Amino acid sequence: MNRTRILLSAATLLFASGAMPVLADDVVLGGSAPMSGAQAEFGQSQIDGAQLYFDQLNEKGGIKGNKVVFRPLDDRADPRQGTLVAQQFCDDSAVIGVIGHMNSGVTMPALDIYSECGMPQVVPATNPELMRMGFKTVVRPVANDFVQGALPAKYVTGKLGLKNAVLVHDKTVFGQGISGVFKDNFEAGGGKVSGTYGTNPEDVDFSALIASIKLENPDVVYMGAGMPQLALFLKQMREQGLKAQFIGPDIGFTVDFITQVGAASAEGALMTFQLPPYDSSPELKDFSDRHQARFGRAPGPYASLGFANAQVMAAAVEKAESLDREGVLAQLHGVTVDTLLGPVAFDENGENTTAPMYLYVVKDGKFELIKQ
Amino acid sequence: MFDYFLQQLIFALAIGAIYGLIALGYTMVYGVMRLINFAHGEFFMLGPYIYTFLFSGLLGLGGLAPVLDSAIAIVASFVIVGLLGVAIERFAYRPLRAYGRLAPMLSALGMSIVLQSAVRVTVGPQPVHFPAIVESTPIDALGGMVTTVQLGILAAAVLLMVGLALFVNGTRLGIWIRAASESWTTSSLLGIRVNRAVSLVFFIGPGLGAMAGIMYASYYGIMQPTMGSVIGLKAFTAAILGGIGSIPGAMLGGFLLGAIEVFGTAFLPILSFGYIGTEYRDVFAFAVLILVLLFKPAGLLGETVSEETTVAKKDY
Repeated sequence: MNRTRILLSAATLLFASGAMPVLADDVVLGGSAPMSGAQAEFGQSQIDGAQLYFDQLNEKGGIKGNKVVFRPLDDRADPRQGTLVAQQFCDDSAVIGVIGHMNSGVTMPALDIYSECGMPQVVPATNPELMRMGFKTVVRPVANDFVQGALPAKYVTGKLGLKNAVLVHDKTVFGQGISGVFKDNFEAGGGKVSGTYGTNPEDVDFSALIASIKLENPDVVYMGAGMPQLALFLKQMREQGLKAQFIGPDIGFTVDFITQVGAASAEGALMTFQLPPYDSSPELKDFSDRHQARFGRAPGPYASLGFANAQVMAAAVEKAESLDREGVLAQLHGVTVDTLLGPVAFDENGENTTAPMYLYVVKDGKFELIKQ
Repeated sequence: MFDYFLQQLIFALAIGAIYGLIALGYTMVYGVMRLINFAHGEFFMLGPYIYTFLFSGLLGLGGLAPVLDSAIAIVASFVIVGLLGVAIERFAYRPLRAYGRLAPMLSALGMSIVLQSAVRVTVGPQPVHFPAIVESTPIDALGGMVTTVQLGILAAAVLLMVGLALFVNGTRLGIWIRAASESWTTSSLLGIRVNRAVSLVFFIGPGLGAMAGIMYASYYGIMQPTMGSVIGLKAFTAAILGGIGSIPGAMLGGFLLGAIEVFGTAFLPILSFGYIGTEYRDVFAFAVLILVLLFKPAGLLGETVSEETTVAKKDY
């Protein structure tokens, strides 16, 4: 599977460097996410989702009779590669919009470059800061980390009545930020945070830390970190017999999490995610079937988000008076679309006014949606 | 508080045993060749990958009990990784012997990148679940808690270390190794085939590294292509701590580093009233390295035997 991925990204690189003929009136849109490396599963799923929508659009005759050409580039979840990709899109005057990047850390330095060349940008990254940096070229249909940290805090204090939490984070912008948001909301809900612990992003051994957390006797452990650290932490936590409710962010929403922890130990863990499950509505079921038919595999974690982002971008292009960056940009913030994931409209910062967030629980070795 | 201390001691012993096993590879190679084998962390990483490949292959063939499959796969991983070590020494280090110390060391760095990338390209970069060899069952011990996996790691590591000590100190082949690490010229004058000793060291070191890798992967339940980088650096620190070149030193250094890390994490926040958090664990471990290098460069059990070895050490 990975070999195909590498071949695919090599092929896209070739295409992007000019091997693919672009007709004068084609609508060229860029997309970027990690398509290789540890986060490839997430990144590739977004690209696939977007590709699926543009394919569908082209079957119906494209935008105003123009064919849409989607150009995905790999940013390897690396901020340095991300800025290179951004420059490449900017330098190609045919590209009139970009969907990307997936990681907040990659998006942040790239924003400057995109805004410099007036590139309309639909952002899938979730750090709250991104939309508060004053860039006018971006919108974000997906919910940010304020929502992501707040939802589980309200759920455990309100519904479960748990009041004593310990926070663990990996000192990254994402991990530290989101556990801070969780803390604020947890305390607002009447809970008490009895300790905050930092780890290194690459740590694998948490046993000593967990032994000292056990002394605090918490009933909730919130962890803002990446994979496989989330899985390793929960595994070691259960091995030591710490029974507290475990909560993690979107990165843990993958089958790997459950296999690495072990189904029995993962049971009951809570995870927030920006998207509903693929069997939760007829539209999503239909999307899942079409994905299967087009790519020969079930949609990955962020596929529906990629699809919805493509819908937002296409809607802005549709409304644009001229098919160039200025034309699309003029429409981007005012666009309202009924996407696969629900209605999208943007506030003055470019944030979606009604972005949903979902809470999942691990049950019998699977993620199951908690109905609110 | 005693329970807490005991519990942390168990963690320290388990991780220390793994550090010690890897450190042995660094120290033996350094002892004989005066070379820091930077590719050693990758042998550690290859261990669990080769084990998984063999184990699932054997399971697929059927016919044998899984326990037997697992035992065969473990022994075979030792041999395969060991032979790979011998081959790498023969083709990547030996031709560079005449070109000073820097050339083989750079070659080792290159080898490390080659091995890591090869695994990443063929198997994939993502962390993979590693099924535990021994089922992890917690056992109560004097108020603390120890799992069967931790006991297994400790037992296996001590067994390997004792085996190595007996081998080096009590057999003819062991004499080769000790002689070669004292002086190449004198040993070859006395009829010891130095190159054989080097190959032997490059068989045992990587083999032990692979064993440590398998223990580590079954302890934490995952393996990934980059797992050897940080742990390799830590084990290297352990080797320096114990005195690089000294076999008992590497074992001691491993356990000591494990203890420093674990107790640092456990007691730093308490002792500093929360000002220094658990994220300083690595800072603590590497600060010890700097202190050792400043005040006792030969390490705790390091030999300061002859003029030649001391001069050689100054080169680094």
